[in-house]
Formats: sequence, C-alpha cells, structure tokens
Amino acid sequence: MSAEDKKENIEVWEDLVHIKDLTISLAICSVTSLGGYLIAPDSQQPLIYGLIGAVSGFIISTIIVTPKRNFSYTDEE
Amino acid sequence: MDIVLIGQMAAAAMFGAALYTIIGIAPGTDETAVLAPVTLVLVISGLEPILVLTFFIAAIVAKKLTDSIPVAVAGIPGGVMSAPMVEHAMILKKYGKPDVSIRKMASGSVIGTIISVPLSLLLATALVPLADVIEQYSSQIFFLGAIFLALMTKNRWFAVLSIVPFAFIIQGLRNLYWELDIVPEDTTVFTSFFLGITIGPVILKLFELLNGSIRKSLPRYGTKTIEMRRTKAEKGFPNPFKILDKHETISSAISSVFGVLTFFMSPVGMTIFLGEMVASRIKDPVKRAARAISSMDGLTNAAYLSGTLVPLIAIGYPLSPTALGPGHALFNAPPVYTYEHNLHHILSMNDFVVATVIGSVIAIGLTFFITIKYAQQICAFVFKYIPHEAMLGLFFGLVMMLAYMDAGALNIAGVLLIGLVAGFLHRKGVNYGVQFMTLYAAPWLVGLIF
Repeated sequence: MSAEDKKENIEVWEDLVHIKDLTISLAICSVTSLGGYLIAPDSQQPLIYGLIGAVSGFIISTIIVTPKRNFSYTDEE
Repeated sequence: MDIVLIGQMAAAAMFGAALYTIIGIAPGTDETAVLAPVTLVLVISGLEPILVLTFFIAAIVAKKLTDSIPVAVAGIPGGVMSAPMVEHAMILKKYGKPDVSIRKMASGSVIGTIISVPLSLLLATALVPLADVIEQYSSQIFFLGAIFLALMTKNRWFAVLSIVPFAFIIQGLRNLYWELDIVPEDTTVFTSFFLGITIGPVILKLFELLNGSIRKSLPRYGTKTIEMRRTKAEKGFPNPFKILDKHETISSAISSVFGVLTFFMSPVGMTIFLGEMVASRIKDPVKRAARAISSMDGLTNAAYLSGTLVPLIAIGYPLSPTALGPGHALFNAPPVYTYEHNLHHILSMNDFVVATVIGSVIAIGLTFFITIKYAQQICAFVFKYIPHEAMLGLFFGLVMMLAYMDAGALNIAGVLLIGLVAGFLHRKGVNYGVQFMTLYAAPWLVGLIF
C-alpha cells in the first residue's frame, strides 16, 4: 500500500500498473501458459492445457496483485 | 429437420453463448485466440457440422456483446475489434458512465446482429456467381484494402510506405522457419503473427520499460480514483431500441449495413473509419462518444457475422479477416475439414439459415439480458478485484503460448519482433487495419517483387 502513496505507478494501455507487479504477472502467466502447453500428455490437445495454464496464471496474478484503483459508488441521482 | 436436431442446436447455442459471455468479459481476450482453438477442438472431436456452426454463431454474438464490458470499465479492448472504441469509451468513463457505455454498445451489437443476419445471407447468395473471381484475386483485394486504409489514416504516406517493408518482415520470418525446417513448407505461420500485431503497442511499451532513462522519465501516478453513479436496475426485459435514441439507432443500422457490405475488409479499419465519420459532427463529448460506440459496435458485430457467413456460404475459402482468424476452423481443420470439403460443401442454404438464426437468437436472448441487467455489478467487480497487471499477463501469456504452438521457441522471438515493429508503426499512426491487411497480402506481395 505504501507504494501507492509514493506515486510509483505508470500507465500501460490505458490503466495504471506497478512495474514490479507487472513483471511478476507477466512472468507467472508466461510460465503457466507455456508450462501447461509443454506438460500436456502426448495424446491430448496441448492447447487445452495451455489455456488452463493461462487462466490459472491470471487467477494467481489476480490474487497476489492489488488493483491500482480506488473504487467507490456515489449515491447521488 | 427434426426436433432432436433443433434441440441439439439450441443446446450448442446455449453452450456457446454461456461460455463466451464469461470469456468476453475477460479483458484482452483476442477473438482469434479464444474462438479459433475452441472451434477447432469441436470440429476435430467430430461434432456435427451444423452444430459447430450454431455454436460458432452463438459464440461470436455473445463475445461481441460482452467484450464491450472491459472497454467500458478499463479501456482495455475486449478483443481486437473493440480496440477502436477505447477512446470513446474512455470519455464516458471519465464522466462516470461506464455502465452507459456498456448498454449503448450492447444495444448497437443487437442492431448489428439483426441487420447482418438476413443481409449476409442475401449477399452470400448474390456473390455465389462471383466466387471464383474473388477467390482468385483475394490477395490483391487485401493489398488494395491495405492501401485504401493507409490513405485513410492521418499519417497517410508513412502508412503507405510501411506496407511493403512490413510484408517483408512477415515473409522473411516465414521463410526462415521453412529454411530451418521449423514448420513444413506448406504451412504458413499466421495466428501468432496476427496476435503479435495485436499486442504490438504493449510489447513496445514493455521493452521501453527496460530502458532506464525512459523508465525514469515516464509520468508517475498514485492510484486511480473511480466513482460510479449507482443506477436503478432495469426492469423487465431490456429493449435495445429504448436504450439507444433515434439517431443512435439509425447510425448503428447504417454502420451495420456497411459492415456487411465490406465483409472482406479489416473490420477494425472500417470501424475506425465509419465510427469517426458518424460521430465527428457532434459537439457534446458524451453524446458523441455514445453515438460512436453504439455505431462501432453495430458495425463490428455485423462485419463479424458477414465475414464468417458470406465467405462460408458463397465461396468456401476464408476470404475475410474474420474467416481467416476466428472462423478459420470452419474452413480448414484437417483431417475433418479441408478447403475442398468444409461447411461450404456440407451444409445446404437451409442449414445455414437455421443454424445462424438459432445461434444468434439464443445468444442475444441470453447474453444481452445478462449484459444489460448486471453491467454495473460486473463493472464494480472488475474494478475492485481484477488488477490490470493480471489482464496484461494473461494476454501476454496467451500470445507466448500460441507463438510456441505455431513454430516453436524461435517463434517467440519472431512474435516479439513482429510486435515491436507493429507497435512502432501503430504509434506512428499506422492502424491495425492496415497491418492486418498487410499480413494477409504479404505472401502475394513479396512473391510479386521476386
């Protein structure tokens, strides 16, 4: 959380990211996607394993990285 | 056609719509990356052709409806074709109205679907006699399309001049792969290059982060504060004609007609071109953005359906960017389908009509309802819990994997190279449309010079 106060986030593709978190996410997702593809048994569709890997990577990153947004509802109107 | 088959088609449509409602919401899910593999698996598993088509139609309609959500909430394109909408959606987001964006885009999508289904079927019937000629000159058509779209961009001479060198890079890599026996001579690496172009701007940005001095000079931010007005839940079944005002309905409809007629052009390019045209004269930024996104979404949806249906029914060759990308498995998925034996040859006109109608009606019924009713909850969930880093990671991971799948480890470098060049061109104003058309025309173009 302290990172946010220090203004460390940068903008990539229209939203804010923290460079360290981004590196972690990219690494996790690349490893899980490619890893899933590579460990697929010979007779199976490796693509399915790769896609499962990609989604798992996404879920892991979602859990360990905090979104750089403050979200709130305004109740006017 | 018996009741059992119709029941199976309805089931296939529901499966497709449900699956792609979820996938569509996930940001950055490239249409080709998420549609082509699943369709391919279904085809190879031996599912009946008419069920495959029903599934595919439901899937693209659902995907097009929900991929407006990440655009609206995060400004991240939910697919290649929603990329041009980002700018306008960001304006609505800035005014605290991401849910309005979603409703307008989804309604535009519905109009696009309603217009494009009958029109595509008619157009396909009309084109059957011309099929041979079109098929013969497909590369030339793509090349002229690239030049045309290049001339439409702001930085037009730069864009025109970039076409040939870019085609050389693409063909150069393909030739290298053939020479090194990484892929067989009759295989053309396509999907991963396509994705490389898509993710180009992000790849360029990521590489720049490796450069210390650029990194230090980038503007720094704290966290982003997003406030959303709580809106009342829609009552009853949402009506797209009420969500859009009269002008928006008309311009969505007109754009959709253009989307169908230009099925062979890059939908991204056409979306940018037409979307800017319908919106440019409106002064009020919120109204302009609403008009632009509803029309653009109508167009992409229409272009998507016609891009699949027209080549499939009339020609049997994937002669549109949509057919070449997401719908490729319907044309060519050895050993089940080949260019000599695919849906074009197997299904009758009647089959096409029934599959398309069942697929699109079920997808609209299911997905439009969910999208409109729960737009705000979906937005809130994404904002609160889904970090942008994870979305970028997912997209990056998929591209890496598909690169490896296409042509092994070396192709990861190849796709990064394509991405860097594409990202640079993109930054200089050469839009996706020009780049995709170049990708399609590259083999012919390079063959012409040598």
